[in-house]
Parts: sequence; structure tokens; C-alpha cells
Amino acid sequence: MKSIVALQVNGEPLEALVDTRDTLLALLRDGLQMTGTKEGCSNGNCGSCTVLLDGQPVCACLVLAVEAQGRGVTTIEGVATNNKLHPVQQALMETGGAQCGFCTPGVVLSAVALLERNAHPTEQDIRYAIAGNICRCTGYGKIVEAVKLASDRQEIRS
Amino acid sequence: MTASETPLKVIGKRLPRVDAGERVTGRAVYPADLTRARLAAGRIKRSPHAHARIVRIDASKALALPGVLAAVTAADFPVIAPGTIIPFGETGSDAWISAVTVMARDRVLWRGHPVAAVAAVDAYTAAKAIELIDVEYELLPPVMDIVAATAADAPVIHSEHKPKGFDAGATAPRNAGGRTLIERGTTATALASAKMVTEMNVVVDTAHQGYIEPHACVAEADATGFVTLWASTQGAFTTEIQTAVLLGLPQSQIKVIPLELGGAFGGKITVHVEPIAVKLAQLCGRAVKIVTTREEVLGGGSGPGAAARIGVRVGADGDGRITAIDGHYVLDTGGLPGTPTTLVMQASAAPYQCANLRLEGLDIMTNKPRTEAYRGPGGIQAAFAMEQAVDELALKLKIDPLEMRRRNAAVTGSTMPIGTPFPSIGLTTIIDRVAAHPSWSEPLKPGKLPRGRGLSLGYWRGTSMTSAAHVTMSGDGRPMVVMGAVDISGTRTTMAQVAAEEFGLSIDDVHVETGDTKNAGYTDVSAGSRVGRTMAAAVSEACRDALAQLAQRAAEKLQCTAADLTYAAGAFRVASKGGAAINLHDLMRATLTEGAIIGRGVSTKLPLGVEVAAHVCDLEVDPETGHVTILRYTAFQDVGRALNPAAVEGQIEGSVAQGLGWALTEGFVYAADGRLLNASLLDYRMPTALDLPTIDCVLLETPVPGVPYGVRGVAEVPIVPVAAAVGNAIRRAVGVRMTEMPMTPERVRAAIRKQSG
Repeated sequence: MKSIVALQVNGEPLEALVDTRDTLLALLRDGLQMTGTKEGCSNGNCGSCTVLLDGQPVCACLVLAVEAQGRGVTTIEGVATNNKLHPVQQALMETGGAQCGFCTPGVVLSAVALLERNAHPTEQDIRYAIAGNICRCTGYGKIVEAVKLASDRQEIRS
Repeated sequence: MTASETPLKVIGKRLPRVDAGERVTGRAVYPADLTRARLAAGRIKRSPHAHARIVRIDASKALALPGVLAAVTAADFPVIAPGTIIPFGETGSDAWISAVTVMARDRVLWRGHPVAAVAAVDAYTAAKAIELIDVEYELLPPVMDIVAATAADAPVIHSEHKPKGFDAGATAPRNAGGRTLIERGTTATALASAKMVTEMNVVVDTAHQGYIEPHACVAEADATGFVTLWASTQGAFTTEIQTAVLLGLPQSQIKVIPLELGGAFGGKITVHVEPIAVKLAQLCGRAVKIVTTREEVLGGGSGPGAAARIGVRVGADGDGRITAIDGHYVLDTGGLPGTPTTLVMQASAAPYQCANLRLEGLDIMTNKPRTEAYRGPGGIQAAFAMEQAVDELALKLKIDPLEMRRRNAAVTGSTMPIGTPFPSIGLTTIIDRVAAHPSWSEPLKPGKLPRGRGLSLGYWRGTSMTSAAHVTMSGDGRPMVVMGAVDISGTRTTMAQVAAEEFGLSIDDVHVETGDTKNAGYTDVSAGSRVGRTMAAAVSEACRDALAQLAQRAAEKLQCTAADLTYAAGAFRVASKGGAAINLHDLMRATLTEGAIIGRGVSTKLPLGVEVAAHVCDLEVDPETGHVTILRYTAFQDVGRALNPAAVEGQIEGSVAQGLGWALTEGFVYAADGRLLNASLLDYRMPTALDLPTIDCVLLETPVPGVPYGVRGVAEVPIVPVAAAVGNAIRRAVGVRMTEMPMTPERVRAAIRKQSG
């Protein structure tokens, strides 16, 4: 069965024709060709598909597309504005916090959400915020360092 | 002028990955991200049984479903006989193994073994279609572990298989794949006369590489039959040859385009979905995409690392000098024979100088997914036995464990287990560094719970094989590198550093591409810690070749001979004529239309860059729950030369994290009927950011002679010592010796209970 869903993706209002079985992840990747959001497990266990739904980090594989009706979704494609990287993205590049890159979009969204609600996170806050994003390449140290660096820089700017 | 005579400007610098921007913005393209016009969805039907004969497969109902475009079974693929050796790996590889792994023929050998596949207009239709494929099985008894498989009355999985390596007249254990023996001296006598002997017998569960990107590919065949395959693979060329042979296609008719790969760690060397996608694409005339699910990846759709049973006996004299090592290494090879044991045996004994060795390796078949490579394959299992045995020796002889290692450490020129002299290694340098480092020299502070510090060594041989690159010059004088290797570890970045160094330019002035199998030179898999070293040699040679060609052109422009020129920082200069000069930009602008500059570089059988490491682990054990908390972890490693320290640390930190996962929580749990009971990333528990401390890395640099820049292998050895370091720390925290891995809270708690009676 098909259904039309009206939502905002990265600030842009749009309507999409979806199969009612489609997840938000399927809508983003297959319907909208926004493939930056990754599918690693389809069960909400790996966090690779993390997006912000009305500002809250969620696994897009656990949300039906029809549930996004009337809501705002931020994906990795919407994190950098006007080609200017978010401090989290910039810091991940600098520290080497992105290796194979598959978990990276989800990590970025979890970290962006953390810094939105807590501008001065401790190491433990950072580890807790990204605990739902499994990274198999880095051992997390350089990711944690990047989020800390990004928060320090935000502090300087404000 | 050679690079080694001048201080390095770009190599050795901590630089961000050249492709980091694509990664942090989600623009990096993996096969699952690719779309094509009229793209069909492929899906694989898998066996629900661990061992069965396939009586009949009927896909007619699936094919009748509207939207289904094609269906395939083994009958659609050529029969490949066992022993069909293709040039792949150090000594060739049996295409029969790849063929049976990709699609079961006549029998299913593990649960999740592919039996059929479909292509359909969308993923929902494909999922419905595989349910409609009717497969009749005749169940056979499964054997699920090494003990069951080698029992005298065990069902035999491959009755036609003739195990190699057994002495004439000797009876091989049931389900043996093969045997390897490394023997020198008089081990039995030396053990009998040793002052102290320790014995460690360990059991290691199967674990998965755990790459976050499930296997995926897109295949397309054009009207002439030419196939394009977009793949997530460790080797474009090895995927090409496997796919060609498995489909009976000329290799020249397949182009493999390697896209980004979201982790591999050894698990993306053997093809899994690729030949199936190509076959479906050929049949339905559309591009076909196969994306596997996590359950497929864990539950039979890929090849995990080997379960093992390893026993070692180590003898020493009163001064703690190791006099004999007797090791028995049994690896679970899964449903197909041939998991190599030689490197595992070497890895375990190689750190020590020892005159008497008897190392015997066996691979045993079970009805589990075929074992594949996982980062220093077998190394962590072997060290778990060996390094705990050495630690126990040190305890019994009341010798400091680091001193114990120092007294026995292999040095450059000492005899390796295989009998040849050790190439340049810096193990004693590492031991000195550990001794002086606060992670070792400062005592472990007591806590509320028992704490312990564990030390372990690691060795990995790695491989060389062949790598190729070529360099062309853009019209603005910048070098463009195309390499035949995929990038699984930051290779674009490190090779850009090598090219920038050779050209005396900034890394921003160099562009590096990972080529496909029709525009790059043949290059072996990115595996075996070989790519950084061998590709650096190829890129360096290609750059020097290009510079020699450029020098001829510059000489013409400057009206001198090439011998009159010096080159530095992007410009040729006449040494003898008052410094007339031309830079690469002006040279290429002036000569762009006079023919391409193409510098060629190939490295083959470069000297090995053997890897050695020492790890120090501090941990805390909760005796009530058996839970282990890692407090501090320091990895010391001789890396020859770090092309990019950030990239090297990234490899080490990731390795240690994987090692800690296997050490503490990661192990496949199989039911007696062959079902995997933890086929999800919730139940198969890989470390999260909350489970690990930041891993400290200490890099030492003992260059490898005969290798450009002295680069050593890097990425495999740092997983080898991990479980033993944890085991040794647990032993020193709570007094129990762990013999099962992973050392889950249940197992640690049980061991503590057993000890306290």
C-alpha cells in the first residue's frame, strides 16, 4: 500500500510517495537518494543510520516513513551548511576519527545532538552519547577526541 | 638524490586523510549507495540447516511471481573441481572453495549457506520470491565443534577430501583439512629436562570481523556481455578472477570497480555475493544490486575468524631461558578445508629464541560457515595460549614477566621458527621502551576491586606479493597517481604522502585514485599487512620514473642534458649554468601536447616487514559478577617507519579494540543443530565507546632494509597480544588462569568460583 508523507528533510519541505512498509531509512536512501545515512543492521543495534527527528537522534531503521509525517529530519547531508563543515565534522577529519567512514555519518549526528543539548560535555558524556554508534575501525579514541575538540572550539566562538 | 639522503618533509607527518571530507559528510560511495536505471534487487535464499543433502530445488513458483526477473541455483554456475588453483594469494588459491562458498551444490555445509537467489523489481518482491523457492533437503547430522568433528564416530563432512601433511601410514583425525609440522631440535627431551614446564590449553570461540558495512555489490552486463561489477572488496583484481572463474567468463570481460568499503578486516577477500549478482544481471538484462542483511552477514553469509583449540607446553631453565616449545594448534575451518595454520604456529613461537620446537597445526572441518581471514588470522588465538604459558613460567620462576621476555627475545639474525634468520626486528628495543614507560614502570594503583596488569608480546609475519601504480602529470604540473589497491586503511593518504615526498611537493598538490581492474596495474589484495609497504615501493618507483621522463623534457627546454639538472621542490634547475630553471607547471604547459608522461611502478616480493608488538593492559575484575573493566591499555609497536602516525595509531587502536572485543565478549554461540544463537549486533556484543579506554600507542621505528622508507607492516600484529594481555592481567588480579575466550563475565565468575572451591 502506498501513502504520501509530508515532512521536512534538512529544512526543505517535501512530499514523498512511500510504501507503508518503508522505514524512514528506506525513504531517505532509496526514495530521496540521500545515501549518506547508512544501513548496518536494520535493528537499531549499530547506529549507522542515526538521524535527528525533530532534533532527537534516532535510528532511521526503527522509524517507519509514515511516522515522519509532519516532522523534521536532519541527515548527514544537512549537517554542513553552505559547504561549511560543522565543527564536529571538521574535528573528525583532523583527529583521524573517520576511517572506513561507514559509521561516521551516524557518529556525526549523535555528536551534533550532544553538543546541541550539552555544549560542555565530559569524556564520559561523549562516550555515552556515541555508545549507540558502533565503530569497528577506530577504537573510539580519536572520535572522542574530535567531539571534545569541537566542543572546545564552540566554546571559544560563543 | 634519493629520498633517504634528505630529511623527509611529508612522510611521517600526522596528516588528515585526503578523503576525510567525503567521509564526514556522507558523500563517500559504498556499493549499497549506488543506483542504476531499472536497478533490480537481488536476494539470496539460504539454508535453514547446518548439514543436508539438497534433493531438489524448484524455483518455478518464485519465477511466476509478478516482478521476479530471474532465479539462480548452483545449476546455473559451472562445476569447479576441488584443486582448481587460480593465481591468488602467495601460493595460489582453490577456486572450488570460492565456488562452494558462494553457492551450495548438492549439499549445504552450514546454516545460512546460499542455495538459490533471485532478482526482482524491488526488495519486497525479492524477499517474497525467495520464500517461494521450494527446496527439499535430506538432513545429515551436523558437527559443530572441533571435539565433535574429530570424534571416532563423527559424521564426515567431505568424504572425498584427502588431508595433506600427514605422515605415511598415520591416520588423520576425522574431518581433518590438513596438517603442518614445524620441528627442530629435540623438543621431548628438552621438555623432560627443563627446570620448569608450563602448559596452557585454550579453547577459543568463533568470532566475526564485525565490519559495519554488510556485503553488497552492483553488477551490470551490457549487450556485448561485458560485465561491470561495483564491489566492496579488499582486492579488485582478486574479485575479478574469482568472479570470472566461478562464472566461466573470460577475465578480460569483467571490470571490477572497487567502491569504498565499510570495513573488511580479512572478511572481504573471498567473493560472496558478487558472482551471484553478475549471474542474475546476465539473466535479467538489468543491473542487479545485492545488499545483505546483518543476520545474513553473521549467520552464514560471510566467513568469520577461526574457533580454535590450542595447547602449548613451554619449558625453561632456572634462569628463565626458554628451552623448548611444544605447540598443538587446531583451527576450526568451518564447512570447507584449508584454513592455514603455518603462520599461526610461527606467530606463537617467533618472539622467542628457542632451539627445540615442535609445532603441529591442524585444520578441522565443522558445519559452520567457512572460516576466513580476520586480522592476523589465528594470531590472537595462538598468543592467548603461548603468552599465558610464558607468563605462568615467569610467575613460577619468580622472574619479572618483562625480564622473562627480554632473556628470550628474538633479535635480528636469530633463528625464526621456520629455520631462517630473522630479518631486522626491534623486539628488544620495544622491551626497553616498555621498561621505561609509565604504563609499566609506575605501579598499578589499587582500587576497590581487584586489579591486575598483564603483559604480552605479539608477532605477525605479513606478506608482500605484488603492487602496482602509475603516475601521470596533469596540465598544471601536478602528479596524478593511480594505484591498483583499494583503500582500506588510509592508503590514498599515505600514498599521496609518498608521491608528494618523491616530487618535493605538498600533499595538496598530489591526487591519488584507487583504480579499477581495467585502468590500473595488477595488484594483490589489501591484506596481510602488505599494502602500505609494497604500494609505497610502487608509487615511489613510478614517481622516479615520471621524474626521469620530465627531466628529459626539462633538459630540452633548458638546452642542457638531463645529467646537468637538479630537481627539488617541483622545479628542475641547471646546476652548472647559473641556475636557469623550469618548474613542473611551466614544463607541463609547454610540453602537454608532446605526449603523456606515464611513470610506472611495480613492486614484487619485497622483503617482508615483520611486525612485533608488546601490550600492557591494566584491568579490574568484579569477582561477584565476573565483569572485567579495562582501565588502561598501551600498545608498543615497531612500525619500521610510520608513513602517517595518525593512520598508524588508527590501525593499532582499532586492532586493540577488536582484540578486546574477542577477549571479553565476542564469540559465536551455536546450538547443537547449527543455529547461530547470537546473530545480531545486540547479542554478538562488539565493544562500544563505553567499554574501552582510549588506547595509548607507542610507536618505535626500526626500518626494514631493502624497503623504500623502511616501512613495516602495521595493522595485523596489534590484535595478536590482546587476549593474552587481558588473560595475564586477570591472572594477576584474581589468581585465575583463563582458558576460554571470550572471557565473558560468566566464564570469569565461574573460574573464580572454581578456584575458591
